[in-house]
Amino acid sequence: MAHDATNMTDADLLAAFAAGDRDAALTLTQRLTPRVMGQAFRMLGNRAQAEDVAQDAMMRLWKIAPDWDADRAQVTTWLYRVVANLCTDVLRKRGRGVALDAIEEPSSDAPSVAQTLQTRAREDALRTALADLPERQAQAVSLRHLEELGNPQIAVIMDTNVRTVESLIARGKRALIARLSGRKSELGYEDD
Amino acid sequence: MTDEDKTLDATFAQMCVDDVMPSEALMDRIMVDADRVLAADIVAPVRPKQGLGAMLLDAIGGWPSLSGLAAATVAGVWIGVAPPDALSDLSAGYLGTTVEVSLLGDDIFSGLDG
Repeated sequence: MAHDATNMTDADLLAAFAAGDRDAALTLTQRLTPRVMGQAFRMLGNRAQAEDVAQDAMMRLWKIAPDWDADRAQVTTWLYRVVANLCTDVLRKRGRGVALDAIEEPSSDAPSVAQTLQTRAREDALRTALADLPERQAQAVSLRHLEELGNPQIAVIMDTNVRTVESLIARGKRALIARLSGRKSELGYEDD
Repeated sequence: MTDEDKTLDATFAQMCVDDVMPSEALMDRIMVDADRVLAADIVAPVRPKQGLGAMLLDAIGGWPSLSGLAAATVAGVWIGVAPPDALSDLSAGYLGTTVEVSLLGDDIFSGLDG
């Protein structure tokens, strides 16, 4: 089925897919997957797991296509929420300890191996601490500080109001600081 | 802003620059999923939106059923207000007597005589 993808919204393409248009799925895949993958990778820090989350999120999109209500939500808004939820689940399954195979090897052009590993350790400690937060706090903090979204947009994604988002982020950050403060020397913060 | 806040924000900032492009293999996997959904006919044709009234109308069988229902309702009310003599005789035959029940009271129209 031919269509001019550049003029079609995500919702239009999703409706076309629901009507059996494979090209619409291809356009959506090319348009949305980089963003979905980026969000998952920032939350997980692991390419293989981020790819699994991205695939899972897109599969959910295909399945919800027939019931999609374009008046209720934007596709990207819905995907932000789905990816944040899936990543939180993955982080919880990882547990408190970070699996060795979840830490990617530093690339050869890194400043130094030790520095890269320390940066990795800090990021993974933060991800693990994020997973320990109540789900909505983890969502709000990750959307604000990893996706750098504004509070009004986060409020739409989380189906709440801006004041609640502000409160979730403030409480989430306080909890993160409390969790990480016990690991200062381990993570090399005292050298900074 | 405390030192802890700064440290936390710095780590978040470092994580923000982490970005990867999806591999071709991932794009292929996602399209395989889309094909499977299409092939399995999980995706249904787009349904026109219906209001609550239209849904109720469909549930009882559409306009023909609704007109029949309206006619039966009117007939029922009329029989209740002015029952035919044959019906009174029939009920008297079954019950042995004629029973009249007034829901409004016997003298509701008495004040209208004068």
